[in-house]
Amino acid sequence: MPFQYLPVMAQNSAPKPPRVLVSPSKPAWCPINRPLSESRVALLTSAALRLAHQEPFIPREDFSYRRVPADPGAGEIVIDHHSGIGRVPKQDPEIVFPRTALANLQKRGIVGSLPPFHFSFMGGLRDHGKIENELATSIANDLKQSQVNLALLVPY
Amino acid sequence: MMIGTAQDIMSKVTPPRAVFVDHPVGRTFGPPHDRVRNEAVLARALEELPRFTRANEIRDPGFQWSSDGSRAWEDELLAEMRNEAKG
Repeated sequence: MPFQYLPVMAQNSAPKPPRVLVSPSKPAWCPINRPLSESRVALLTSAALRLAHQEPFIPREDFSYRRVPADPGAGEIVIDHHSGIGRVPKQDPEIVFPRTALANLQKRGIVGSLPPFHFSFMGGLRDHGKIENELATSIANDLKQSQVNLALLVPY
Repeated sequence: MMIGTAQDIMSKVTPPRAVFVDHPVGRTFGPPHDRVRNEAVLARALEELPRFTRANEIRDPGFQWSSDGSRAWEDELLAEMRNEAKG
């Protein structure tokens, strides 16, 4: 049976109630109308990561996002997320943000192309309306301008 | 498409498509500094893309953290998460 995170999170937050989880208010299903080998693929991460010279995220309610170059050689990644489970990902952000792996899949022709930037934001935000109406909308517009066909969200 | 390690959380937040990776949280694409494994996990997850037939489906390709199928990592993860709670 898969590891059950929700009971542990509930215990950890006690006596405060556990964090509320919500679904999107609107359906987000889109048909896939082109093969992966012809698709532009972007990474989205809630690890609040960035290049070292970019402005740090402010724990815990920061609704900004960073454009992180898709080129793996573009610079070292820093993780700002406040979660205590960050000890291991901070040793190697690629295990939650597989920028190099995705670039290699593009070189191998498995993925069609990459946008100039991937997108990073803070996970665990509590204002769901602001997430859906502001943060997600801004990132979606950025993805659209970059002609991204497939966005891969890796929760942190 | 979401690629995540917490199947119970993904089932509550209902992304349009999701692939479950049965790894400890924070190690979605494998242990640190294993680029071969990072790429293998990502490639295998992407293979699921044409197999989704309905919205909010979570597909499970059968990833395992340990090659021998051991789930000892769960005890370590539980200890880590409890230590995080203590602050």
